[in-house]
Amino acid sequence: MERHFEQELKKLKKRILKMGNLVADQIHNTMLALQTCDTDLASQVISNDKIVDKLDVKIDKLCQRIFALQQPVATDLRMIMSSLKMNNDLERMGDHAVGIASRVEAISEYPEILKELEMEELIRMTDVIVKDVITILNTWNTTFVRDIFIQASAIESLCKKITDNILEEMGQKREVIVVASALIIILTQMERIGDYSTNIAESIVFIVDGKMIKHKKPESLFLDPDPEE
Amino acid sequence: MKDTKIVTEALSLYYGEKMALNSVSVEIPENQVTAFIGPSGCGKSTFLRTLNRMNDLIPNVKTSGKVLIDGLDIYDKKVDVVNLRKKIGMVFQKSNPFAKSIFENVAYGPKINGINNKKDLEEIVVTSLQRAAIWNEVKDRLNHSALGLSGGQQQRLCIARTLAVNPEIILMDEPASALDPISTAKIEELIFELKKNFTIVIVTHNMQQAARVSDLTAFFYLGELIEFGKTKKIFTTPDKKQTEDYITGRFG
Repeated sequence: MERHFEQELKKLKKRILKMGNLVADQIHNTMLALQTCDTDLASQVISNDKIVDKLDVKIDKLCQRIFALQQPVATDLRMIMSSLKMNNDLERMGDHAVGIASRVEAISEYPEILKELEMEELIRMTDVIVKDVITILNTWNTTFVRDIFIQASAIESLCKKITDNILEEMGQKREVIVVASALIIILTQMERIGDYSTNIAESIVFIVDGKMIKHKKPESLFLDPDPEE
Repeated sequence: MKDTKIVTEALSLYYGEKMALNSVSVEIPENQVTAFIGPSGCGKSTFLRTLNRMNDLIPNVKTSGKVLIDGLDIYDKKVDVVNLRKKIGMVFQKSNPFAKSIFENVAYGPKINGINNKKDLEEIVVTSLQRAAIWNEVKDRLNHSALGLSGGQQQRLCIARTLAVNPEIILMDEPASALDPISTAKIEELIFELKKNFTIVIVTHNMQQAARVSDLTAFFYLGELIEFGKTKKIFTTPDKKQTEDYITGRFG
């Protein structure tokens, strides 16, 4: 007979995955809404955030209950600690999706700016990193964690490059100031989505391997020791 | 790193033909709390009793390997077991006060060790009761029978009785398993205080208790020491799968 504790852990894993998929959908729809300047889809994202918030509270309560009643240790402890953290990270990612969605209307005033500034590539990258990290969340396979760090770093660099270009553009064309300001905020939010994706990857490493890799330079984490040296 | 107080080297023990401990080697540091955990029959209590030669009292017990305390082999023929046990106090699962007054319970050990001066005895009794965190509860009824105390108080009285002979090591075999949560918390707090002056080795079935009170944890299974290390490591990232399975309740 399966223990009650095992059932609670399975329920938690299922709910975290549900949260991950929900947030991935929110971000996918936000990226689509931004790319196509679809304000209806953007409104839908904003409205769906309450579902994310509701699940966030449900997961917090489940973790609290398991901590109080089961006194987990070892892998179980790491899984529940990390679930709390990942839940928080996912909820924040959902908030950033809303933050971006709420600026789609401003961007739709001057949609050409997206093409001019290589935003399409950034939109694609943001969508991909979230999908990839949710795959890791689903499989607990840490082999691809390194890719998440590489992708997040690429997103950060591209955000910086686009921000520099926007600032230059703002200096030359005063009429783009409103849309460019909205875009700068969007870029910050996209960069944060990349950062939260790395947080989730770190949490999965903590669950599976028991290693706490946060705040370590990503390049130092994945260096394969060279047998020749 | 603390100095090592107790060392066992390839310690094995048989009850007749049945092997209860299989080549256990461990180093227990001074002024720390070391907990032994494991399922029933894993050998943890047997191991504890090898540390003060309590198993000598059981017929057909055969021991091999070494137990060194402060570098001296306690199974050496020259060792005086009575003197050894003065150095190593023991507290049992069931409190076992003598049917005497509270004062006499604590004074008993010092008296048989030759201390008869009333003032000296009083001082030892008061200090021991204070160190066992029971003084405030019994100071006005030292001449009352110890059997009138609650279970938790009786257990702390037994700890005071152990402290009265000024041991260096205290062995505790499930010291709080028969107590309510409040009394258990008092015993655990006391263990935390006592480790400043004593080396404490505790056997417990309550894993959360091991996690709360100990600095080091040893996991025993079928007479073998499976894993030994810092408690914070054992309860967060144990190295061995058997340890992980046991502490997470997946077997045992």
